[in-house]
Amino acid sequence: MGAEFVLFVSAAVFSIGALGFVVRKNPLVMFMSVELMLNAVNFLLVGYSNFLNSLDGQIFALIIMTVAAAEVVVGLAIILTIFRTRHELDADHIDVLKG
Amino acid sequence: MYSLSWLILFLPMAGFLTLSWSGKRFPKLTGGWFASAMVGGAFLVTLLMLAQLYAESPADRLNHVQTLYPWVVSEGFSLNLSILIDPLSVFMLLVVTGVGFLIHVYSIGYMHHDKEFTRFFAYLNLFIFSMSLLVLAADFFFLIVGWALVGLASYLLIGFWTDRKTAVLAARKAFVMNVIGDVGMVIAAFMIFEHFGTLNYVEVFKAAPTAFFPNDDNVLLITLLLLVGAFAKSAQLPLHTWLPDAMEGPTPVSALIHAATMVTAGVYLVARCNALYMMAPFTMYLIASVGVITAIFAGSVGMVQYDIKRVIAYSTMSQIGFMFLAVGVGVFSIGMFHLMTHAFFKALLFLAAGSVIHGMSDEQDIRKMGGLRYAMPVTFITFLIGSLALAGFPLTAGFFSKEEIVMSAYSAQYGNIVFWGLAIIAVGMTGFYTFRLFFYTFMGQSRTPEAHPHESPSVMTVPLMVLAALSLVGGLLGPWVHDFLSPVFGGATLGHHDDTMMEIVAVAAALGGIITAVAIYMTGKDQLAFAKQMLAPIYEALYNKYYVDEIYDFLIVKPVKGIGKFLEERAEKQGIDFSVDQVGKQVREVSRGISIWQSGKVRIYALNMVAGMVTILLFVIFL
Repeated sequence: MGAEFVLFVSAAVFSIGALGFVVRKNPLVMFMSVELMLNAVNFLLVGYSNFLNSLDGQIFALIIMTVAAAEVVVGLAIILTIFRTRHELDADHIDVLKG
Repeated sequence: MYSLSWLILFLPMAGFLTLSWSGKRFPKLTGGWFASAMVGGAFLVTLLMLAQLYAESPADRLNHVQTLYPWVVSEGFSLNLSILIDPLSVFMLLVVTGVGFLIHVYSIGYMHHDKEFTRFFAYLNLFIFSMSLLVLAADFFFLIVGWALVGLASYLLIGFWTDRKTAVLAARKAFVMNVIGDVGMVIAAFMIFEHFGTLNYVEVFKAAPTAFFPNDDNVLLITLLLLVGAFAKSAQLPLHTWLPDAMEGPTPVSALIHAATMVTAGVYLVARCNALYMMAPFTMYLIASVGVITAIFAGSVGMVQYDIKRVIAYSTMSQIGFMFLAVGVGVFSIGMFHLMTHAFFKALLFLAAGSVIHGMSDEQDIRKMGGLRYAMPVTFITFLIGSLALAGFPLTAGFFSKEEIVMSAYSAQYGNIVFWGLAIIAVGMTGFYTFRLFFYTFMGQSRTPEAHPHESPSVMTVPLMVLAALSLVGGLLGPWVHDFLSPVFGGATLGHHDDTMMEIVAVAAALGGIITAVAIYMTGKDQLAFAKQMLAPIYEALYNKYYVDEIYDFLIVKPVKGIGKFLEERAEKQGIDFSVDQVGKQVREVSRGISIWQSGKVRIYALNMVAGMVTILLFVIFL
């Protein structure tokens, strides 16, 4: 398992996440896409930590996971509240900040 | 003992603050007596100062400066709130607080029907404070502060009856005219500071004789600018038009501010700055000329007016003209002497006129009066005494002071025969209009039978009697006044006047005026109807006050209003407003174009971010 492989998988997963975020309208799915992007970065960090014989990348990965968990809590709560007030979930309809 | 002098300022100020804070909760008449007591207290302190001055030799009586509070202290400039006690300030204060006290007491009777009794007395106390500050100031700065404050008090009191439109307009007019003068004074103060490095009287007047040549440009400019303030405050030509209108205020105000004290501040100013004015003979001639011309101008207008207060107002202008004539020819203490006797008899005349107005239920037109000698005996007698004093009837107060002025107009340092001749004419006019007014009001039969005039209460008549007594015997104070004030006017001499022929002419002029009025108006009727028709154009010009108001309206008010209207429409609406509107419109247009990007849709934002990221990556990789 070489460095190219790690880079390729990470880039692929990140692109899938990014594409999913842009294409899908359901906020829950968009949220999962964000997780994909985060984990692509995590994968890259852990992989390179191994190649470079340094623990820094792994520590960063742990921090990102913690932050992602916290972010999920907040994000899900927001999505839930939006659903309760609007009785629908479509990211394109939530545009109250339109200029 | 001089350390008590702050009380002169403190008492009226305390009265003003107490009355204005407690307002209507103050029991009505108590407020009036309280205010009077404050002024009476200030008068007693002034008497104390007088006694203190007398304890010293004449040469030591000058320049007692009491510093109350160091206000501005800095390198090269310092300003102290300080009080100058010298014969001149004490003399002025005796008049201000003494006559002021009598008028306060009188006002308790005159104003007792008024809803806003307490406010009136608060303003009166404010006026006494301001006038005392003006007189006691030891430098030009606080002189100007007091100068502006008396203008404010005058404004508030002229417009006291705020529901009368004419009163409010008159107050505004008086204020604006006075501010013209204030501007002159302020510039003069700047110039004084520039030349002397201080505003302190003592230092400035000590340095003045050596700082300038006689008729030096600088001293001329300073004295002329000060004079603008003096003429505006004292209603001399050409800044006089506010004074007759100021008669819209309550009568005690006319007596206190617009006859006895404030309007004579200009004379005081010239007398106070005599060290400067003696260096500027040209200004002195100007003062004397304007004074004597105003005396004739106002006297001639006064001869044909029908409003009792306006006649007295024009007479005030005329008498202040005499005072300016006196100080202008260089006999300062005679000017101050006339200021004092004038304060007595003019306050008396105004208060008696107020008593008449009070008794006639606010009627001021003398054509509707007549025959009041039966209904109002005390007012009748006191008014007669005041009239005699004003006309300069021999042995009354006005006789001594005016006689001295007329004589010095010829014999004093800057006097000449022309001033003397014009003064004689003005003296004759004084006798005429005074007794025309007197006969119209008190003699003959009542011209409005439905009116039921009544004598005023004793709280009003007692001050009248005191002032009448002073108007009778005040002239005997003349030698004392000259002696007392002479240290202040060290450089000025009184001139000698022992030309018997000229004195006889002056007395004859006064008596002539009186006798003419007696001959024409004795019966209380106007026997001049045919003369009025023959001299119709002159009569019209006099009756309309030489059209000065109309000329000012045409030359100044209308053009200024026109410019204002033009600027409002062109500069404001089509210039400023238009450009500001355009800026706003353009900004809105631009932002409308940009705001397309803010769609509010998260996915679009994400797409933009990705696109941006990709672009940057491409740049990094391929460039």
